[in-house]
Amino acid sequence: MSAVAADPLASLDAGERANLSAIADRLIPAAHGMPSAADVLGDDRLRFVLNARPDLVEPLRVALRSEHGGDVAARLDILGRDDPAALGALQLVVVAGYYTDGRVRELIEYPGQVAIEIRSWEYPAYLEEGLIDAVMARGPTWRDPTTGERAVIPDAPRTYEERWSTDAGSPEGGPDGNDRA
Amino acid sequence: MTAEPADVLIIGAGASGGVVALRLAQAGFKVVCLEQGEWLDRADYPGDKLDWELKSRKDWATSPNVRGLVQDYPIVEDDSPVSPLMYNAVGGSTIIFAGAWPRALPSDFRVRSLDGVADDWPIDYFDLLPYFYRTDRQFGVSGLPGDPAYPPDTEDAPMPPLPIGSAGLKVARAQTKLGWHWWPEFNSINSTPYDGRRQCVQRSTCQSGCNEGAKASTDLTHWPKAVALGARLVTGARVRRIETDASGLATGATWIDRDGTEHFEAARVVILAANAIGTPRLLLLSSSPNHPDGLANSSGLVGKRLMMHPFANVGGLFEEPLMSWQGQFGDLIESLEFYETDEKRGFVRGARWGLAPTGGPINTALPSRAGEQVWGADHHGHVRAHLGHGANWGLFAEDLPDEANHITLSTTVADTSGIAAPEIHYRMSDNSRRMLDFHIERAKESLDAAGAYKIEVDRLMRYSGWHLLGTARMGDDPAVSVVDRWNRAHDVPNLYVVDGSCFVTSSGVNPTSTIVAIALRAADHMIETRFEQRVPV
Ligand SMILES: Cc1cc2nc3c(=O)[nH]c(=O)nc-3n(C[C@H](O)[C@H](O)[C@H](O)COP(=O)(O)OP(=O)(O)OC[C@H]3O[C@@H](n4cnc5c(N)ncnc54)[C@H](O)[C@@H]3O)c2cc1C
Ligand code: SF4
Repeated sequence: MSAVAADPLASLDAGERANLSAIADRLIPAAHGMPSAADVLGDDRLRFVLNARPDLVEPLRVALRSEHGGDVAARLDILGRDDPAALGALQLVVVAGYYTDGRVRELIEYPGQVAIEIRSWEYPAYLEEGLIDAVMARGPTWRDPTTGERAVIPDAPRTYEERWSTDAGSPEGGPDGNDRA
Repeated sequence: MTAEPADVLIIGAGASGGVVALRLAQAGFKVVCLEQGEWLDRADYPGDKLDWELKSRKDWATSPNVRGLVQDYPIVEDDSPVSPLMYNAVGGSTIIFAGAWPRALPSDFRVRSLDGVADDWPIDYFDLLPYFYRTDRQFGVSGLPGDPAYPPDTEDAPMPPLPIGSAGLKVARAQTKLGWHWWPEFNSINSTPYDGRRQCVQRSTCQSGCNEGAKASTDLTHWPKAVALGARLVTGARVRRIETDASGLATGATWIDRDGTEHFEAARVVILAANAIGTPRLLLLSSSPNHPDGLANSSGLVGKRLMMHPFANVGGLFEEPLMSWQGQFGDLIESLEFYETDEKRGFVRGARWGLAPTGGPINTALPSRAGEQVWGADHHGHVRAHLGHGANWGLFAEDLPDEANHITLSTTVADTSGIAAPEIHYRMSDNSRRMLDFHIERAKESLDAAGAYKIEVDRLMRYSGWHLLGTARMGDDPAVSVVDRWNRAHDVPNLYVVDGSCFVTSSGVNPTSTIVAIALRAADHMIETRFEQRVPV
C-alpha cells in the first residue's frame, strides 16, 4: 500500500482529478437551482473529506484509474460490477464534499445537526390533544403472566390527569443519580 | 512478589461492568477491572463537527469490523446475515448506544408457560422491578409515567419525557386514530440537567458518542464514582483467558497490554461483563484439560443460543418539513400494540416499534440500505424529498433462542493481540420472518394513516446486531444453563456472568435497561452472600 501524502490532494494526479470532476458532474449535475458537484468539489472540499477519511484515498485512486477510459457511465458500471468498494468510496467522496459545502447546505435548508434547547417545562402537545388519554382509556394492555390474559387492574387510571393525581411519587434517590438502595 | 488478589476482577467496563463495579466498590470490595479499550474524551466525538457523517462511517462506525481500531477485535460474520455491533472502550457499547430504555415486559420471562416455546426465566419482571428503579436513577432516565403497556409503577422516571418532535407527534396522532398503543419513549438521556450532566440538545448524533454527556454511558454515570471509591480500572488490557486452580475455582485472568506483554491479575472472584460475544469468546478461550470444551461449559451451552433481534426499518415520507434529522436517536415514541402473542397472526411473540430520527444529508444522498440510489438531475429532488421529511419505524422482533445460532473460535482470524476471533453462525428463524412480515405491514398502515405519501421498507438490515444476548443463559438446572439465577456459573462457584449473555430469551425490546437491572441484582446478591462465597486459597 502506498503511503498517504501529508496533503491528500498530492496523491491525485491531474488525470485523476479530471476524472473525478467528470464523475461528480454526472452524479450530481447542476439542476433545479443547485450547483453541480464538480463546481463544489474544489481543493478545499476534497482536502476536507480526505483529511477526515484518509482511508478513502486509496479506493478513490483505484476508482479514478485511467484504464477505465473516458466514458463516465461505462466507468461507473464497471466499478459497480467489479469493485463496489471503490465505487462506494468514490460516491462518498463526491457526496460528502458536496453536502459539507456551506452554500449547498443553505440551498437545501439544512443548518447541520444544531443544538436545540429542550423546554421540558412546557406541556406537550400530545397531552394537550388528549392522545395519551386515548391510550390510557383502553386500560392495561400488558399480559399478566399468571393468567396469560391481558392484565385486569380495576382501579387503573384511565386518564393522564387521574394518573398524575395518584402520583407514584418522585424517585427516592433524588435527582442526583445516586443509588440509595 | 505476588500482589494481594482483588476481591473481584471484572472483565469489561461497559454497561453491566460499570453497574457491578460501582455497587461492589460502594460495599467496600477491592475491585479491579480489565478493559481492552480506553477512556474517551467527549470533546473528540464527531457529532458537533462538520465531518460527523464521514466519521460515523469509519472510526465511529457501529461495527468493530468496519472501525478496525486497535482496541476492537474482529468478528468473523460470513455465516450470518446480521453483523454484531458494539463499542470497546470505558463505557463499552453505551458510548454509541442510542439510549432507548424500555424494560422487558412481564410476559417476556414466561415464554414457555405462556406460548409453549423456548424457556421460562428463573426470575421474573417483579423480581427486577426494584432494580429497574435503581438503575433508572443511576443512568438518568426521562419518560412519561403511566404507560398501560406495563404494570403500574411505584416510582416515576427521574426526569420528564424528552420531546417527541414533529414526526413523533404526527405518528402519535395516527396511532391514536387507529386505536393503537403508542407512548413517548423512555430514554436514558437527560431532559433536564441531572447528576452533574447536561441536558440533551437534540443533535441526534447519539450513536457517535454524545458531545454533551446528556446520554448515559457508564464512563460518565458509573466509572468515575467507582474509581473515586477505590476501584482500579486498567485500560488497554485485553484478557486472553480466565485461569482456574485444581479445585476448579477461578484464580484470575491473563491479559495482554498494548505492547504485547502478558500479565496476570489474581482475584478471589471473576465477573464477566464483556457482552454476549466477548464473554463466550473468553469462556471458550479458557479451555484446559479439566474443561476441554471451555470454562463453565458442562451444559455445552456456552456460545449457543445467540439472539440479536432481527430488525426491519419502515420509513414514511411526508410533504411537510419535519426537521427529522434532529431529536434523540434513542427513540421519539414507541408502540407495543402488537407485542404480545396472537396466534392468529401465524407466529408467536411480537416486536417493539421505535420511531427514530432520519439522519443528515450525506446519509440521505448515498444509496439507501435497501439499495435505492438516485443520481443525475433527479438527485436534487430525491434529497429534498427525503432530508427532514421522514419518519422511521424501527421494528425489533423477538428472537427465539436456537442452539444452531452460536459462536465458535476462529482458527484463521485473530485480534491484534493474537487471540482467536469469534466466529458467528446465525440464521433468522421462520417465526421471526413471519413476525417481521406482519409488523412491516402494520407499520406501513401506521405511516399511511399519518399521511405518508411514500413508504420504504428495509427488511432484515445487516448492520442491526445492536442487541447481543443469550450465549451463557441463566437457569436453575446446570444441565441446560450456564449460570444460575444469581448469575453465578454452575460449574465455577466464583465466576459470574453479568452481561446480556445471561438472557434466557431475548424479549422484543432494547435490552440494556434489563441487562443492568439484572447486573445490579447479581451485585447485591454477591454482597449479601460475601461470607459464603467460595474463593481460591
Ligand atoms: C449502535 C448501538 C446502539 C444501541 N442502542 C441501544 C438502545 O438504544 N437501547 C438499548 O437498550 N441498547 C442499545 N444497544 C445495546 C447496548 O449498547 C448493549 O446492550 C449494552 O451496552 C450491553 O452491555 P454489556 O455490559 O453486555 O456490554 P458492553 O457495553 O458491550 O461492554 C463490554 C465491554 O467489554 C470489553 N471487553 C470485551 N472483551 C474483552 C476482553 N477480552 N478483554 C478486555 N475487555 C473486553 C469491551 O471492550 C467492552 O467495553 C445499542 C448498541 C449499539 C452498538
Ligand atoms: S440528541 Fe441528546 S443524547 Fe443524543 S447526542 Fe445529542 S445531546 Fe446527546
